[in-house]
Amino acid sequence: MDLSFSEEQEMLWKSARDFLASRCPKTVVRQMEEDEKGYVPELWKEMAGLGWLGLPFPERYGGGGFKFLDLAILLEEMGRACLPGPFISTVVLGGMPVAEWGTEEQKKEILPKVCEGKAIMTLALTEPSARYDAGSVKVKAVVDGGDYVISGTKLFVPDAHIADYIVVVARTAEKANPEEGITLFIMDGKSRGVSTFVLRTIAGDKQCELTMDKVRVPKGMVLGKVDKGWEMVKKVIEWGALAKTAEMVGGAQQVMEMTIQYAKDRVQFDRPIGSFQIIQHYLADMSIDVDSSRVSLHKAAWMLSEGIGCTKEVSVIKGWVSEAYRRVTAQAHQIHGAIGFTKDHDLELYYRRAKAGELFFGDADFHREIVAQQLGL
Amino acid sequence: MDFRFTPEEEAFRKEVKEFFGKELPPDWPGVDPDQYHEDAFDHIHEFSKALQKKFAAKGWLGLTWPKKYGGQEAPLWKQMILEEELTYRGTAGYDAYQFLGGCGDIVLEFGTEAQKEKYIPPMCRGEVKWATGMSEPNAGSDLASLQLKADLQGDYFVLNGQKTWQSAAHRADFAPVYCRTDPNLAKHRGISIVIVDYKTPGITMRRLTQMSGLDAFCEVFYDNVKIPKENLLGQLNGGWAVVMSALNHERTYGIQLIVNIKRDLDLLVQYCRETKVNGEPLAKNALLRNRLAEMAIQLEVARTLGYKVNSMVLKGQNPMATANQMKILGGIMTQRVAILGMQILGLYGQLGPVGGNWKQMDEKKDKWARLGGRMKHLYLTTVCNTIAAGTTEVARNGLATMGLGLPREPKPAAPAKK
Amino acid sequence: MDFSLSEQQEMLRKIARDFFSNELPKTLVKEMAQDARGYRPDLWEKMAGLGWMGLVLPEKYGGSEASFLDLAILLQEMGRACLPGPFFSTVVLGAFTIMEAGSERQKERLLPGLARGELIITLAVAEPNAINSPDCFEVKARKRGDDYIIGGTKLFVPDAHVADCVICAAKTAKGLTLFLVDTKSPGVTCTVLPAMGGERQCEVNFDQVKVSGKDILGEIGRGQYYLDKVLTRAAAAKCAEMLGGAEQVMEMTVAYAKDRVQFGRPIGAFQSIQHHCANMLNDLDGCRCMTYRAAWMVSEGIMCTREVSLAKAWVNEAYRRITALGHEIHGAIAFQHDHDMHLYFKQARVGGVAFGDTAYHGEIVAKALGL
Repeated sequence: MDLSFSEEQEMLWKSARDFLASRCPKTVVRQMEEDEKGYVPELWKEMAGLGWLGLPFPERYGGGGFKFLDLAILLEEMGRACLPGPFISTVVLGGMPVAEWGTEEQKKEILPKVCEGKAIMTLALTEPSARYDAGSVKVKAVVDGGDYVISGTKLFVPDAHIADYIVVVARTAEKANPEEGITLFIMDGKSRGVSTFVLRTIAGDKQCELTMDKVRVPKGMVLGKVDKGWEMVKKVIEWGALAKTAEMVGGAQQVMEMTIQYAKDRVQFDRPIGSFQIIQHYLADMSIDVDSSRVSLHKAAWMLSEGIGCTKEVSVIKGWVSEAYRRVTAQAHQIHGAIGFTKDHDLELYYRRAKAGELFFGDADFHREIVAQQLGL
Repeated sequence: MDFRFTPEEEAFRKEVKEFFGKELPPDWPGVDPDQYHEDAFDHIHEFSKALQKKFAAKGWLGLTWPKKYGGQEAPLWKQMILEEELTYRGTAGYDAYQFLGGCGDIVLEFGTEAQKEKYIPPMCRGEVKWATGMSEPNAGSDLASLQLKADLQGDYFVLNGQKTWQSAAHRADFAPVYCRTDPNLAKHRGISIVIVDYKTPGITMRRLTQMSGLDAFCEVFYDNVKIPKENLLGQLNGGWAVVMSALNHERTYGIQLIVNIKRDLDLLVQYCRETKVNGEPLAKNALLRNRLAEMAIQLEVARTLGYKVNSMVLKGQNPMATANQMKILGGIMTQRVAILGMQILGLYGQLGPVGGNWKQMDEKKDKWARLGGRMKHLYLTTVCNTIAAGTTEVARNGLATMGLGLPREPKPAAPAKK
Repeated sequence: MDFSLSEQQEMLRKIARDFFSNELPKTLVKEMAQDARGYRPDLWEKMAGLGWMGLVLPEKYGGSEASFLDLAILLQEMGRACLPGPFFSTVVLGAFTIMEAGSERQKERLLPGLARGELIITLAVAEPNAINSPDCFEVKARKRGDDYIIGGTKLFVPDAHVADCVICAAKTAKGLTLFLVDTKSPGVTCTVLPAMGGERQCEVNFDQVKVSGKDILGEIGRGQYYLDKVLTRAAAAKCAEMLGGAEQVMEMTVAYAKDRVQFGRPIGAFQSIQHHCANMLNDLDGCRCMTYRAAWMVSEGIMCTREVSLAKAWVNEAYRRITALGHEIHGAIAFQHDHDMHLYFKQARVGGVAFGDTAYHGEIVAKALGL
C-alpha cells in the first residue's frame, strides 16, 4: 500500500497552492460573495490556461487526461483558498457526465469549450422538496416533434444563472419504481423559457432557482438513454459529493493551520494560549478530524480513479466530513475567540462554507442511510 | 422542597404577560439576549427605546433599586420573573446587562452618593442607554491585561487607548470603562473604572461587522479623552473588585440564553409538524423525533438548574459555581439548537436575510427561505455564545477550582535565560 | 421555588448514610455479588427495624406515611452505598402495585408483613419478545373455573429467586391483568441471569401455574393502567438511586484528582482534568434537579409522566458520562476489580436500561412536545 503522492501530483498541488495564494486573495473571495456572476472571468481564463478546467477530460477533447484523484488534489487547494466560481458545477456536475455518457457529437461540441474556459455548465437535480432521491424528480419532459419540452422549477442549482449548458434531470415516464422514467437533458442555458435568479445563501455561493417554462431541448441533446437516467444521476451524486468533500478537506486543513498559528501567537494570562492543556486537546481532536478526513478522501478518490466501485466509501467520507468540517470550524472559532467572530477575519468564510458543503449532494443523515443500505440493513 | 411558584409570583407573571400582549405586535419575532438586532438595526433600536419608556412607566426599570434613586425596592424574585418573561418573548427595550449586574448595580455598589443620584434616576426613567468598556485586543479572557491608560492630570483622567467588541457602544450614552491607572502595580491591582460620557470629545467608534452580517458591536478609540475625576467609580486602582462584581452577570446571561432558545425549539417542533416530505410530516421521522426530544431534555435540565441558581441567590447563597454552569450550558445548548435547526431545514437552512426572521426579506433572493431565515442567523450568531461574556473554557476553569476546590494550574516556569 | 430539603429529610439522609457507612462496606457489596442469595438477611432485618420497608405505606399497615420524595432520598443513599438486595423490588415495585391495585383485604394481608421485612415481592413485566410493548406480550392466563392458569416466560424479573410473591402481568381474554403468584406454586421456576454487577435479574418460567381468581390485583383487563403508574414511579425511583451513585462518583473523583500526583503536581491542576470535572458537575447537578422535581411531583400527586421521562432520559446518559469520566480520571487503578469505581459504572449501565432506556423516554418526550 502506498499512500503518497506521485511527483506529478506533488507538483500539481504546489503550483495550485502558489497560484491561488497570489491570484485568489480573500478580498476577491469576499467581493465574489456580493458579485452577481460570482467568479472572476480573467481568473477563469487563467485556470483554463493551466489546464485545470480540462483536467479529467480526454486529451482529444482538449483535456489533460488526468484522473479523479488528481482533480481531488486540485479541489483541496481550491477549498483551502475558498476559490469562488463554477468549477465543480462545470467540470464535475456538467463536464464529467458528458465525457462519460455523451455521444461523440455532444462531447465534440461541449468538452473543448469547457476545457478552454468558454462554456460554464451545471446540473439541475433538486426541486423544492430539496431531496436527492428519485421520487423527488417531478419536473416533466414531454416529447413534441423532434424536441422534448420541459417545464417546472429546480432549486438550489449551483451557478445556473451563468451556465451555458445545464444538465437537467427530468421525468419522462411515470413508472411504479420512481428510479425508472428519468432522463438527462443537456439544455442550452440561454434557451427561451429559462429564467434564473440567485438565492441568498449562507456561503454567498450562487445557488439558484431555475424555472423552465416550456423549454425546448432537441432530442439530440438527450444525455445517455431515455428513461434510464437515474443510474447516471447516482454516479453524478457520488462525484459531486466527493468533489465537494475534497474542497472541504482543503478548507479544514487551512483552518487547522490558522488555528495552530493563532494558538502559538495569541498571549493571554502571560502565555500563549496554546500552552493551555484544553486548547492543546482541542487542537489534537481537530487534527484527528482533519487527518482522518484527508486519508479517507484520498482512498475514495483513488478508488474512483481506478474504476473500483466505491458507493459506500463515498458516503462514508461525505457523511464523515459533513460533520467533521463543521466541528473543525466551530472549534477553530472557539479557540480564536471574539476576533474570529467578525467579518474582518477570514475564519468565518470557512465556517459558512463548511455548512454549505455539508449540505451539498447529501448531508450526513443522507449518506448514513446509504451506508446503512450498503451494510445490508 | 417546592417547585411551584407562589400566587404573588404567578400574579406578577400574568401582569407582565398581559403587558407584552398589548405592547408587542402579535408576530413579534423576538430579539435575542445578545441584543445584536437592536444594536444593528435602527428601526428595532427605535422601537426598543420607545418600549423602554413604557417599562419605565410601569416602574420595571431598576425594579429592585432603592426608591430614592427612582427604583421600586421590589424583591429580587420579581426581577427574575420579569427577566424570564421578557426573554421568552424576545422583548426589546430592556437591557438586562444595564439593569442587572453590569452597570446600574455597580454604580449602586461602588458609587458615591453624587454618582448614584446622577446616574441611576435617568436609568430608571428609561432615558439613557449604557454600554460597558471591558475588552481590548490584548485583553479578552485575560481582562487583567487591559492597557487603556487613564492618567490623572489635575481634575481629569486623560484616557488613551482602545476598547473592542463593545456591544451597543454606538447606541449608548454612558459606559463604565475599565482603565489602567497604575502600570507599576500587579496587573489586576492597577485597574480603575471611570464612567465615560460617550459624547466626550476624542472618542471615535468603528462598527464591526459580525459573521452573521450584523454590525452590532464596535471598536472604541480614546484619544486624549478628558473625563472628570469625579467619574471614578470606586477606589483608585480598586477596579478589580468591580470586575468581580460585574462578572456575576454571567449567571443571568446564561439563564437568558436557555430561556430564549425555547422559542426556537417551539418553532422547530411546529415546523416539523407542518412540513411534509413524501407525504409524511417530518414530525413522524424517527431520527428527528429523537433529536428534538433530546434537545428538549437538555433544555429542560438547564432551565431547571437555572431555577436552582435563582433560588440560591434568593436565599443569599453564593451561586458562583452554579453561575459558571449556566454560562457553560447556555452557550453550548444554544449552539446545539442551531445545529439541529439547520439539520432539520436541510438545504433550506442556508437561505435567508441577514439577521433572520425580521421581515427584511428580499422578494427574490429570500423567496424560498423558511422560518424567515432564523436558523441561518442562529447558526452564525451562536458561535459567539461560548465566547462572549466569558468563554466556556474560563468558566470550566472557575467551576473546577472555585466550585470543586481543584488546585490551580501552577504558573509556567520563566523561560531559561540563554 | 424551593430546592431545599426539610430538616426531617436531612435527618433521614444522615441516618441512612451513617447506617450504610457502618453496615455495608464495599467488601461486603462485592461479596454479595458472588453470593447465591445476593443480600444479607441480617442487614435486611435491620433495615426493616428502621422502618424503611414501610416508609411510604399507610400507618394502618405498619408504615410511616412518608412521601415519595422521602423514599427518593433514602434510595439515593442506597444507590450511593450500592445496596444489593430486593429493597427496590419489594418497596417500589411490589408495595406500590399492591397499593395501587390491591383490594383492602389484599393490602391487609400483604402490606404489614412487607413493612416488617417478612415479605419479599417483585414484579414480572418484560418478556423475551417484548420489553416495553405490552401489545406483544405472550404470557397468558386462561380462566378455568374460579382459577387462572398462567403459562409463558418473563425475563429480567428482579430478585424473583428470593421473592415470596411475584406479581405477573399476563394476558387474559379481557386484557392484561395483574396476578399475585406465590413463587412456591408448582410450575414456577426462577433462573438467575448472569449479571453485570450485584443485581439479580431472573428468567421466570410459568408452566401451567394455577392462580386463584382472588389473587388478581385490581380489575381484570386493567393491568396496563396499573403498570403505567407503577413503572412511572419506578423510573423516578431509579433516578434517585442513580443520583446517589453519581454523587459518590463525583466525590471520589474530585478527591482523587486532588491527591494523585503525577508530573510534579496533583492531576487536578491539569486543565483537562479540571474541565472533565466541571462537565461532570454540570451533569450531576442536572440529575439532582430533574430527579428531585420528578420525585416532588409524584409526592404531590401531580401528573408527571413527562417530567419523569425527562429525568430518566437525562439521568441515563448523564450518569453514564459521569462514570466514564470517573474512570478516565482515575486511570488504571479504577480498572482493577478491587477498586470501587466499577460498581458504579455497572450500576449506571443497569440503571440506564431499567424502566425505560433513553430512546424509550425520548419518545415520550417527543409526544409531549406534540410531535
